[in-house]
Amino acid sequence: MASVTLDGVYKRYEDVTAVDDMNLEIRDGEFVTLVGPSGCGKSTTMETIAGLTQPSEGNVYIGDRDVTTLPPKDRGISMVFQNIALFPHMDVYDNISFGLRLRKYEQEEIDRRVEQAAEVVQMEGMLDRMPDEMSGGQRQRVAIARAIVREPEVFLMDEPLANLDAKLRVHMRTELQRLHKDLDTTIIYVTHDQAEAMTMSDRIAVINDGKLQQIDPPLVCYNEPANQFVAGFIGSPSMNFVRGDVSDEGFSSSMGDVDVAFDPTTVGMTAGDQVTLGVRPEDVYPVENADQVTAPTEPFTVTTDVLEPMGDEIFVYLLTEEDAEVDLDDPDAGGQLLMSVSPDSDIQEDQQMEVVVDRTKVHLFDADTQQAIAHGIENVAAGGGAESARAGGDD
Amino acid sequence: MSREDQRTDGGTATAGISDEPELKRGIFARWVSKAIKNPERAYRAMFYTAAVFFLVTTLFPFYWLLVVAITPESAALGLVPGGFEVGVFADVFVKIDFARYMFNSLLLATLTTIVVLVLASLAGYVFGRLDFPGKGPLMLAILAISYFPPAAFFLPLYRLFTGNVFPWLSLYNTPGAMVLPFSSLFMPLSIFILTTFYGQIPDGLEDAARVEGTTRLGALFRVIVPLSAPGVATAGVLTFIAVYNEFFFSFWMTDGSASAWAPIVAGILQLQRAGQFEITYGVMAAGSIIAVLPVAILVVVAQEKIVSGLTAGALKE
Repeated sequence: MASVTLDGVYKRYEDVTAVDDMNLEIRDGEFVTLVGPSGCGKSTTMETIAGLTQPSEGNVYIGDRDVTTLPPKDRGISMVFQNIALFPHMDVYDNISFGLRLRKYEQEEIDRRVEQAAEVVQMEGMLDRMPDEMSGGQRQRVAIARAIVREPEVFLMDEPLANLDAKLRVHMRTELQRLHKDLDTTIIYVTHDQAEAMTMSDRIAVINDGKLQQIDPPLVCYNEPANQFVAGFIGSPSMNFVRGDVSDEGFSSSMGDVDVAFDPTTVGMTAGDQVTLGVRPEDVYPVENADQVTAPTEPFTVTTDVLEPMGDEIFVYLLTEEDAEVDLDDPDAGGQLLMSVSPDSDIQEDQQMEVVVDRTKVHLFDADTQQAIAHGIENVAAGGGAESARAGGDD
Repeated sequence: MSREDQRTDGGTATAGISDEPELKRGIFARWVSKAIKNPERAYRAMFYTAAVFFLVTTLFPFYWLLVVAITPESAALGLVPGGFEVGVFADVFVKIDFARYMFNSLLLATLTTIVVLVLASLAGYVFGRLDFPGKGPLMLAILAISYFPPAAFFLPLYRLFTGNVFPWLSLYNTPGAMVLPFSSLFMPLSIFILTTFYGQIPDGLEDAARVEGTTRLGALFRVIVPLSAPGVATAGVLTFIAVYNEFFFSFWMTDGSASAWAPIVAGILQLQRAGQFEITYGVMAAGSIIAVLPVAILVVVAQEKIVSGLTAGALKE
């Protein structure tokens, strides 16, 4: 077991910077997920830790050792790959024992450890199978056994579940969590699937454009996103963003009537600032349900567009202006708002209705820097006389 | 077309008009008429014609060799052997040290194949899996060298190996004088074959091997080479056969005696002098047949791999 530290790591290719000033400190025994959209540099970051890629600049430490120039085999790591990468010409036993045999372990020791690893992943009795005789889930388990058999200090997983079908993925997710509980090893996990990141990790590192956006426990990333990117990336469906500006009375949207009253000085803003308001679909309520919310905003009128019944909830696409053109491919486009309501709601398509937003759950982002300004705005007297708006999220 | 429509003259019976008189057709005309209705027949006929033609042109010399070998000296040569004498096959080994010539050839071919496979594997790894400046031009240069006529290298190499350049370097009459030029001459083909194969092994497998504890070189020989077995077999067999059949350097880089590592080509030429005053075609022919055998066996054993190896490179998975 060991901690992993990235200190000012850059990885530049001819025309792109894949990793841009990455500073990460992963503690001993922690399960950290690197998450971000495709091509954001999360895999390159992992390859840098593994030693498969040399950083252009910066240092990598595993424990107290500077491993920046060490080859992968001397770093005390093991890795599970997205394409599983079992050696097709070797049976399960040879695959699992590959690393041990290279390190010239005693035959009995190898047998004992392979047995043990196979037991952990429940693959006993299949040691003489070839990889092409097994299902995807079995192969993935062999790959995991191969990784744990050497008892590495750090465990790297590069989208290990991406190639599995949805049902198996959920199953393997819980197995990996159990594995982490049993082994208590540092695990660094790469995924573009925010559901995997949310459910498994101690902390999530959100990466975009090669830069670390935020590293925090999953619920902190969810409730107090550091910037607009994290807010939009974590959570499904994605957070609504409404562009607008700040006046002495609070926020008012540039399209439609999405207004949130507060005193700008309490969150360190001045009238005239351009901001983006973020609110998650589950924090938008029809006005008749406003009593469920402790601090609702003033109701505003919207038109329903499309309904998506999911079974346990209905997603309602709302237009803040009746004639707003909605681009369904671009959730950030102005004029639309997604609301999640309970499945027994009788909302129809193309109807006018009034909705409110939970003030304690709104987020304000600077329109230029996209950095978060405030999470949750409470305690505002009606009629524009904002008295004690508070920047929440310090809990 | 159902059987009932077929008339004995090859035409088609027309429903209702049963009293149409049969055409007078010969066998050939009937076949043509059937082939027009069913072009498959024509294609099949063309295939058999072509196949038989190639078989005859390639196998007849070999058959003739056999006839020459087993026809006794007293009997006249003819398409059908005028007698049967297997003693010549023994004579080959009795008259000269033919076994040693064969051993020399097999050794030279094996050594060259090993050198070529090891070096071409390294080159194939670099060309197939790494990106570096000048990769294109370098590959082109290798391709260009492979088209040089071997004779162009002969004179300088002959002077070098006979100790005329460096007095301490004298390889004439040693295996080195042949293995070195063979290796460099046959290397480009192997490099190209192996580059294609090694380039197709997924990066993940090499990464996995490196994380598990090999160096890049270890990953090459433990994972990439075994997975490219058809390619390695193809490159190996082609090199082996090319060296085994090589004439030019083999003939000039030794004095032709078995103890000077002269290969089988020299052995067959030696068989000319098997008799005292006559040219012993029979013994020479027997020697040639024996010389062909190792390669023939090798091809039969490895043919499946070679075919899959030669075609696999063309298809991307």
